[in-house]
This record gives sequence, structure tokens and C-alpha cells, in this order.
Amino acid sequence: MELFTPLTRPLAAWRDRLLGRGDAACTVPILDGVLQPNQRLETAAVAWAAPTGSLELRDLVSDGRQLWLADGPRLRALTPQADGRLASEERLVAAGPITALCALPERLGGGVAYAVAGREVQILGGSHHGRRWTGLAERDFTAVNGLAAGGDALIVTDASAQHAPDDWQRDLMSLGASGRVVRLGLAPVDDGKDRSDRVLADGLRHPFGAVAHGSALWVSESWRHRVVALGAGDRPSPVLDQLPGYPSRLAPAGGGGFWLTVFAGRTQLVEFVLREREFRQRMTASMPPELWIAPQLRPPRSFLEPLQGGAIKQMGVLKPWAPPRSYGLVIRLDAAGRPLASLHSRVDGQHHGIVAAAECAGALYVLSRGAGRVLRLDLNTLAPETGA
Amino acid sequence: MNDTLTRLRYRWWPDHVIGEVLAKPWMETAIPMGVLIAVAFTLSGLIPGFLAADQLASTARQAGELGFLVLGLALVMIGGGVDLSIGSIFALTNFVALLCLHELQWPLAPALAATVLAGMALGAVNGLLIGYLRLRAFLTTLITLIVFRAVYELVNADHATAIAAHLPDSPTWDFLGSGLFLGVTAVVWVFAFVALAGHVFLTRLRPGWHVMAIGGSRRAAHNAGIAVRRSIAWTYVASGGLTALGSLFFASRLASVGGDIGQGLEVTVLTAAVLGGIGLGGGRGSVTKAVVGLLIVLLITNGLTTLSPSGGVNRMVLAIILITAAVVDIRWVKNRHRIVSRVYVSPDFLELPPAPSCAPDSGTVWAMNDKLRSVEVIGLGQVEGPEDVILDEDDHLYSGSRHGDIVRFLAPDYQRREIFAHIGGQPLGMAFDRQGNLNVCVGGMGLYQVTPQREVRKLTDETNRSWHSVNDDSRLRLADDLDIAADGRIFFSEATRRYEMSEYAVDALESRKSGRIICYDPRDGSTRTVIDHLLFPNGISMLPDGESFLFAQTSAASVSRYWFEGPKKGRIEPILTGLPGYPDNINLASDGHFWLALVGMRGPALDLAMRMPAFRKRMTQRLPFDEWVFPNINNGCVLKFNLQGEVLETLWDPSGVNHPMITSMREHKGWLYLGGLSNNRIGRYRLPEGAGRPDFVHYAHRWGSGFSRSGAEQGRA
Repeated sequence: MELFTPLTRPLAAWRDRLLGRGDAACTVPILDGVLQPNQRLETAAVAWAAPTGSLELRDLVSDGRQLWLADGPRLRALTPQADGRLASEERLVAAGPITALCALPERLGGGVAYAVAGREVQILGGSHHGRRWTGLAERDFTAVNGLAAGGDALIVTDASAQHAPDDWQRDLMSLGASGRVVRLGLAPVDDGKDRSDRVLADGLRHPFGAVAHGSALWVSESWRHRVVALGAGDRPSPVLDQLPGYPSRLAPAGGGGFWLTVFAGRTQLVEFVLREREFRQRMTASMPPELWIAPQLRPPRSFLEPLQGGAIKQMGVLKPWAPPRSYGLVIRLDAAGRPLASLHSRVDGQHHGIVAAAECAGALYVLSRGAGRVLRLDLNTLAPETGA
Repeated sequence: MNDTLTRLRYRWWPDHVIGEVLAKPWMETAIPMGVLIAVAFTLSGLIPGFLAADQLASTARQAGELGFLVLGLALVMIGGGVDLSIGSIFALTNFVALLCLHELQWPLAPALAATVLAGMALGAVNGLLIGYLRLRAFLTTLITLIVFRAVYELVNADHATAIAAHLPDSPTWDFLGSGLFLGVTAVVWVFAFVALAGHVFLTRLRPGWHVMAIGGSRRAAHNAGIAVRRSIAWTYVASGGLTALGSLFFASRLASVGGDIGQGLEVTVLTAAVLGGIGLGGGRGSVTKAVVGLLIVLLITNGLTTLSPSGGVNRMVLAIILITAAVVDIRWVKNRHRIVSRVYVSPDFLELPPAPSCAPDSGTVWAMNDKLRSVEVIGLGQVEGPEDVILDEDDHLYSGSRHGDIVRFLAPDYQRREIFAHIGGQPLGMAFDRQGNLNVCVGGMGLYQVTPQREVRKLTDETNRSWHSVNDDSRLRLADDLDIAADGRIFFSEATRRYEMSEYAVDALESRKSGRIICYDPRDGSTRTVIDHLLFPNGISMLPDGESFLFAQTSAASVSRYWFEGPKKGRIEPILTGLPGYPDNINLASDGHFWLALVGMRGPALDLAMRMPAFRKRMTQRLPFDEWVFPNINNGCVLKFNLQGEVLETLWDPSGVNHPMITSMREHKGWLYLGGLSNNRIGRYRLPEGAGRPDFVHYAHRWGSGFSRSGAEQGRA
């Protein structure tokens, strides 16, 4: 049968398109089991809110004592206060928006690594202070949206070869598959460790953040709705797939396992549009991304945005189970990548576009890019469900 | 260029016809008909002269005799039963006919009557047992098959020789058996007549509908007040009578009382009925199906007899064809509605003119403001779906509700609420006439009138059927808004003829010109379509010249003017085009201009989809309703315009907290009252000082003061 697949595959694809089966089926996993919706994110306390508009907060990491926040071109250190709020201190103003952060542990020399406009990775403080990278292997960085500390290197996710990090919708709508994961060697000079800079994986569909897990590396691959593990020399293998949304960054959780943030929900309409080449081309060529039929980071703000039937207000109420144009979701994974619990802000809520989560001083801080807020959830109240 | 091709393709190719044809009830007969044609062609290819005149005449004669039995069985099956005893009844009534004519030598007329009555009596035995005593049809008729057959064999043994000894001397009797009328045997004529009568009975007469309903759902039919037991009993009586009729022709042709008469007949007849598509479960079937099924069986058996292969092959071929046909028919019937639902929605090409910007800083009259943010809320949670609002001279406020009521909020504070009238369907547009009657368009029902005495009257629910529509479009499906001319004629819009009220959004997505404006003339009670092929016509407002009105086309984002009288009679002129949203109701403002509600706003993504019908078609096929991209009816505005097509003012509420959706507005004594189809409240907006006449009452202005008060007083008296 293998012999005939080149012949049968186009036929099967044609049949699927005709009948809406297989790859042509616009089905989306439902929020069920541990992903059953709640309003934990929506009702979470606001620990810090951006003074200037939303969408400017791009990443949030913890170094154990304090949080680091990328607020436009500003790098802020946020210190938890007794009242649950965060005190902000500006540490740096970069040349462009800071698109990713990583607090480096002592074994890598300490300090904070940050990416500027997706094109440049720099280190502030620590023994590597001042080092910078602008690309690797004949390819400039274009869309660095995630930095992570590996065993002996800084891990970089470069989401796309064509589109800047903020142009992620265009990457999705052009079916982008040019993301890569890169390691930048940071090990000390003389203990015989690997100090090379290497491309670990290429051809990923919008990798968005990574985390080290033992000797492997977990990377969230947004457009394939999954988290993959990169081992030494292996092809990426899925740890968790068929997510109901587009995953963003991963952060270690206290009791083992990880926090996976999901920055938008999938809808059948978007899945359908992704299979409609001509419509996608005409749409992306003729209107700004916030008016596209595409996932968004925040709820609709203009009547020019497309509306789905389920989102029509009935008796003055927007139903929280309407198809999500934007959504807020954080998933707690155990060490094997199985979901343990989830935190939601539903369609009728505000705290959407979750791009990062970080534990610090007994609390989980969640970055809602759509609302421009850092949310705080007490880890003790989350403990029973999350197994922390 | 691409768009031009698409436009032409969608203008000239009638996509919607396929769905409408498939949705027709007679499409259920398509598969049996196809089998019949295939069988006829195949056999005529195999057998020379198979479809020659004499062969056909012989087949027709057989069809006539058997046809009566198939009709009888079909009737029983449609009622949800089955009659296996027809073979035995056939034999017995054949015997009765021959007994009366040959042995007893009765005259023809009483002999015929006796035969048919005998058949009905035998059927009545079944009917009594199954209809009234509620025994199982299959078992009961299996038993009567045996009993009747036994009776036949007993009496036949006694009388066979006597019958064979005499021959009746009746030319009429001979004519029944072999006579020709216009070259066709008598039996065919009689059968044609009975079949036609049966068709009329099943499709046009009340008892026929009752049988159909019982077969569809016995319990529901009982609950609806149908005499289930009696109706079922009568189907068996009718089956017996029809069988007797068939046996009469058989008797007159052969005059035979052989022992095997009618043996195995029930299988042939049952096969014909099932093959024609008459459901074994009841509730599904027609005369056409019965006849088609019968012809298939006859053609196959005759054809195979002529080909004369060995007996086993003969029956095997028959069995295979039957099985195949049955499987195909079951799949077809089961999946037809799915195919219909896939192909029925057929989006059309629609290119709207570019919309003006409504940005707050756009500096135009469209610039968004928040004037409506301060709207007062009336009846929150007490009314659901007030599409239109209207006030009388005493300031009482009327609105429709999705519960099928007209709700009245009492002046002066609108805290008290009463059900003014219950209509049953959702009231949409409303208008007072000169006598103070409230005229209402009711979704799914038509045009209704509520008198001041709260009496509900239907004015009209149908218009003339258009010749170009496959669907019967005479019934009104979505009467929408209305206004009344000076001479009392009511002009009202019907948004679409292809969808029901609950599916209005599907029509909006389809954007096919399937709406119309209709005129009801109370002087002679007539209803006529005056403008056809409109894109979701909606609001209507009479103009003071007395010979024209304004109407909005929601999907076309336009407002036009139509002259129904005067020198420009029949002309349509655009007033507003390229609106940034979807217009709904239009009403007169106190300064002589017009208020217009935009129920929703256009967005570039949907506008693009409107130019890509194939995209929308696939969307409707692949995605569930709630996932479709829709006109944005969560936001809207109210605007004022004049007859020169100038927009004078817009009122917005971008947040939509107090009043989310606006489908209509009515100015009344310095206030603007707002209705919204999916709201649970009515809004009212205080017009700024000097903006509206403080004494303005819309329909008092129109008809002169006192029009509604007089009626209301009569109501109280």
C-alpha cells in the first residue's frame, strides 16, 4: 500500500475537502475534563496594571525573589508587597519593545536575558553582562518571543523567519512554519561543557517559549496547538497535543511540572479560514489584523471586528460559551505533561491573551497581555487542584 | 475582474433552485422513479418489442387489477399497519362475484355491490380487531389470511361446479373483462380514476391527512384529537373494498375459481408497495409511489418470464433488484434532509459600496458619540424581543414580545405592564390605522390587527404565488414592518420567502434577493406583491405626498423610495446607499425628517465574505450556525435623514450597556423610544431641548387627533 500513497493521497485530500473530513474538518477540542471552564483568572486580583494602554506587556519571569516584566521598551523589576500588589522599578529602556525575558540562574552566570524587537538577544547583569546576539547560522533573529535557561545554554525560540513577534497573526494566516529553537552557549569556560551556539530545531510552527525538563527541552508550538519535547538529535515529539487554544510560554511550577499559558482560544471559524487560501490572502491584504477573522489577544473593541453567531448578545448578555475571539487560559501540567488543572477567563471576561505565568513568593503571577495586567493568584488556594 | 466573473456566475446560475427542488416532498419518489426508468430501458434493450403497444397493454391490464390491491395496502401501510390477508380476500371476493353472477344469476349491479360489500366486510374484520381491539396488524392479518383462505376452500369446494356450469349473459360484465374504451381496457380507466381519487383523498382531504398523521405518530395524532381507532379501522375496510374491486375485473376476465387464486399475492403487492417507497413504519407514501412500485414489479416479472431463464435465476434477479432498490431508497430517504440542508443555503454575490468611517475623530456626521449612553430603561426583564415600539395618544407604550404577546406599559411612568393582546407569533412592525386599530406584522404568521377592544384579527397570511419560484411562496414567512396609506391600504415588507423567522440571520448571510413588499387592501381583502426581489426589505414609512413610501433593505445597507400612485407610479429611487450599517425600521420625526435604526454595523471581513459566495457556502456547510461570521448586530445607532438622502444626525452608544441593540425607534412628545429584537427592555432617550416637538404623537399627527382615544374609550365602555 505504501507504494500507492503518492497516488492516493491527493485523492484522499480531495475527498476530504469535498466532504469536510480529515484535514478539512474544522473541529476543535472542547474544554472538558480538567479544562472545564471556571472564572479563576477573571476574578484574580490585579497586582499590577499597565499605565499606558494594553498589549504592551509582553513577558513576565521570576528569579525567585522578584518578577521581571517587559513593558514596551521598559524592563521593570516588580517586587511583591505585603498587600499583594507589586512595586515597580524601571531597570532599563531598550531600543525597541522587549519581546522576551529570562532570569538566568547562577550556573549560567546570573542576570537577565532579554530580546529587543525580536531581533536581538542581550544580557543585563551577571557575568555575561553586555553580551548580545543578532542571529545564528546565516539567519538573523526575526521573532524572538521566548528565552529559557537550559542546562548550559540560553534557549531562544525564534517564532518566524518572516514576521516580527507582534505580527503573529500574519504568521498564522500565512500558515507559517519557519520557527526555530536555538541554543546560545553560556557555560563557564573551563569545565568542559558544550559552549557552542546551535540550532536545535527548525521548521516549527510558531514556537513560543521553552522550558528545560531534565535533559530534554519542552517547547510550545502555537500553530500546531501542542507542546513538543526536543531531545538530543531526535525529532520533536509531542508531549501534549490537541490543545483547545494556541499555547504560549511555559514556566516551572513549585511542586514539579509546569504552567502552560494559552494566549487565544481556537474556533472552528478560524480553523475554517485557515483552509481558505483566497479569502485569507484577500483579508490579510486589505485590512488591519484586528479586523481579521483570526485569534485576538483582547475582546472586540470595535463593531468593525467580525462577529460570530454565538456571540450575538441575547437579552443584553454575551454568553460566556460563545466562540472565543479572545480567551484567557492557564494550564497546570504535571512532570509528564498531563494537564492537572486550568484557570480561565471566559469569553465575557477581560483577562485574555495570557502570555506568561511565573511563581514568586507563594503566589502565581499571570500576565494578561490583552488586559495589560499582571494578575495574582495565591498558590495555597490553587493547591488542591494543582497538586502543588 | 475576478469579482465581475463571480458576479456574473451568481447572477445567471440559480444555485438556490437545487435546494428548493430537493426539498420538495415529491423528491422522495425520485429513486423509485429512477429504478422504473432503468428497468424499462434495460429490459427493452434485452427483449425486442418489450415496450411495444400490445405488451404495454397487457402490462397495463395487470397493473389495473393488481393496482387496486396495492392502493388498498398502501393506505393501510400509510396508517401504520399492514394487511397480509388481501390475497385471501381477493380469492373470496372473486368467489362472491362469480357466485352471484354465475350460480345465483343476479343482475350485474347488485352483484357488483355485493362483491364490494363482501370485501369491505372482510376488511372490517381486520379493522375491528386491529383498530378497535388494538391487536398487532401483522399477526392479525396473518391469521385472517389463513382463516379467509380456509373459508374460501370450503365454499369453493361446494360451488365450483355450479359456477363453472353457468355463464352470465351480460355484455357489461364482458366489457369489464376485456372491453376497450379509446383503445385502452376498461380496468385501466377505472384504476386511473380510483388512483386519482386516492391521490386527492390522501393529499387534499381531511380523512386522508388523518391517516397520514396517524402513521407518522399515533400518539401525536391522538393528542391532536384525531379518532385514531376509527380511522385505522376504516383503512382496513377500504383495503378490503379495493381488493374486491380488483377481484371483480379478474373474475370478469377469467371467471376462474381455481384453488390457487390469490395465493402469494400479498407478497407481490407488498413488494410493490415497499419498492415504491411506502414506508413500513407508516406515515410515508403516496399513490404515485404505489403505482411506480407496482410497475417496477410487473416489468421485472414480465421481462424475466419472457427471457425465461430457469425459475431460480428468475426469482434471484428479482430478489437482488428488490434488495438493491430497497437499500438505495432507505439511504436516500434517510439522508435526503441532510443533502437538502447542505445545499439549501446558497449565498449570492453581494458587493456593497464602501462604508463611511464612523470613527469619533472622523469629523463627519457619522462620528461616534455617546448620546444614547443615558438612555432610560423601561420594563427591564418584563419584555423579551420588543422589535418595534409604538405609543397611543394617551402615551401608553406598546411593544411586541417573543412570547407572542403585545405588551402594554401604562403611562405616565411605565412601571405597570399588561398583556394587551396575545397573537401567538412574535409581533414585529406596528402601526395604528385611522380607526385606532393596531396593525401588526407577525413573524411566521402574517399581517394581523388588534382592535381597541383587544380583538385579534388576521388580515392576511398569503399573497399571490410568483411563477418563477420553486417553493410555494404564497404563504408569508417573515412579515416584517408596515405602514398604512391614506386610503387604508397596508404596505408591508416580507424580509425573505426562503427562511423562517428564527433563521433570519441565515438569509442575511445568504443575501439573495428573496424579500418583497406586499400590499393588503382592506377594501376588497386582496393581497398582492408590489415589489419583488429585494434584499431583506425591512422598515417602511409612508411619505406625506400620499403616493410614495420609504423602505429599507437591510442586507443591501440602503433606503429607497417607491411610488405606488401618481405620475411616478412604480418607480424606485435610492435615497441612502452605502450605509455603514444595516438599516431596520424607518419612522417619521416631528420635524418632517425621518428616523432610521441601524440594527447592526458592517465590518470589512464580512463585506469581503459577501463578495465570496463560495466561501460563505462552504462555511455554512462545514460549520455550525453559532460559528458563522455574522452581521455585527451587537452595535448599532439611530440616525436622522431627509428625502434628499442627507444624514443629519447620528445617535450612538458604543458601550451598549443600557440598550444593546436597536431595531426601531419612535418619537413621541420629545422622547425617542427604542426597541431591539433581542433585548429584554425598552429604551427611551430624551431629545435635546428644541430638537423635537413636545406634542408630537406619530399617528395622531398622521390621522388627526382622537383616532386612538375614541377606540380606547369604546373598549372601556
